[in-house]
Amino acid sequence: MTELRTTTEASAEPPSSPQISLVDLLDRLLGTGVVLAGDVLISLAGVDLVQVRLHALITSVRSDMPAPGPRQDQ
Amino acid sequence: MTEAGHGRYLFAVARGVGEQGVAGVTGIRGAPLDVVPHRDLEAVVCEVDLAEFGEVALTRNLEDLAWLEEVARAHNEVVFAAASRGTVAPMRLVTIYADDQSVRARIEELYDDLTAALDRVEGRREWSVKVFTQPDAEPGAEEAARAEVGSGPGAGAAYLRRKRDQATRRQASREQAVELAGQVHRALGDQSVASRRLAPQDPRLTGRTETMVLNAAYLVPVEQGDDFRAAAEQLDARHHELSVEVEGPWPPYSFATLE
Repeated sequence: MTELRTTTEASAEPPSSPQISLVDLLDRLLGTGVVLAGDVLISLAGVDLVQVRLHALITSVRSDMPAPGPRQDQ
Repeated sequence: MTEAGHGRYLFAVARGVGEQGVAGVTGIRGAPLDVVPHRDLEAVVCEVDLAEFGEVALTRNLEDLAWLEEVARAHNEVVFAAASRGTVAPMRLVTIYADDQSVRARIEELYDDLTAALDRVEGRREWSVKVFTQPDAEPGAEEAARAEVGSGPGAGAAYLRRKRDQATRRQASREQAVELAGQVHRALGDQSVASRRLAPQDPRLTGRTETMVLNAAYLVPVEQGDDFRAAAEQLDARHHELSVEVEGPWPPYSFATLE
C-alpha cells in the first residue's frame, strides 16, 4: 500500500534518499514547478491537474485507507 | 501525436551541477542521466519511452497512484541530488522534449528568466510548515450533553440548543485557528527571504483528523536552516491549540518559478 504520510528527518544537506510525503511532493511537482512549455513534446501544462489529483489520489486513497474518522460538522 | 519513439525528460535547469554532480543517480525507470550544458546553465535530462509517456499513455498512467508515485519519487531523487551540488530550478512533473536541441533552444529563449530564478534560490532551501488545529478539546461533550438534559419534557429543545451552542463554539475556534495560522505565517515570513501559501491538503490525503489551516513554503538561506526550524518549533510550543509541523530542507520547488 502506498504510504502517504511518511515524513522526513532532515539534516543540513539534502540526504540522498529524501522521504518527502507523496502529498507534499505532488503539491510541488504538480503545483509549483517551473513550466517551460515552448515546443515541448509532452507536458502536464495542458492536463487538468485538479482532475489528476482528485481522481488518482483520492480514489486510490479511499480504496486503500479507512476514512480519517467521523465528521462532526454536518 | 505519435506514441512511438523516445523523448528527453527534463528534471531541472541547473547551474554548477556537472556530470559528476548526479553520478550514481538514475532517472526515470533507471535510465542514465545526462547533464546537457547550454552557456552557463545545464539541463538535467534522461531518455523516456513515449509508449509510456506519450499523451494517450500518460492520461491513463496519471490516474494510477503507484505509477505517479514512482515517477514523482524518481524526479525528486534527481532534483535532490542536483540541488546538493549546484543550484536548481526544478521542472514540473513530466516535461518532455523531442531531443536535446529542443531543450537547449528553450533554455536559450528563457535564458534571462531562468538565470533570475536561479539567482533567487542560490544558496537557499525550501522549508515546509503546516499548521493543524488540534482535535476537539471535549470529545465526550455530545454524550455529556445528552446525559445532562435527560429525557423529561423539553429535553429535545435543550438538546438542540446545546448542539447549536457546540456548533457555534466550533466555528469560533476554527476562525481563531485560521487567525493564529496567519500569525504563524507572518512570524515565519520574517525568518525567511520569501514565502508562499499552498492550498491546504485534503484530510483524505493527509489521513489526519485535524484541519490543516496552513500549508506554506519558506525560502531560507542554507546556513539559517537550523534557526528557521527552531523558530517553527517555538511557535508550536507557544500555541497549544495548534500543531505547527516543520519539514526540510528541500530543494526550492516553490520558489524557482519564472516571473
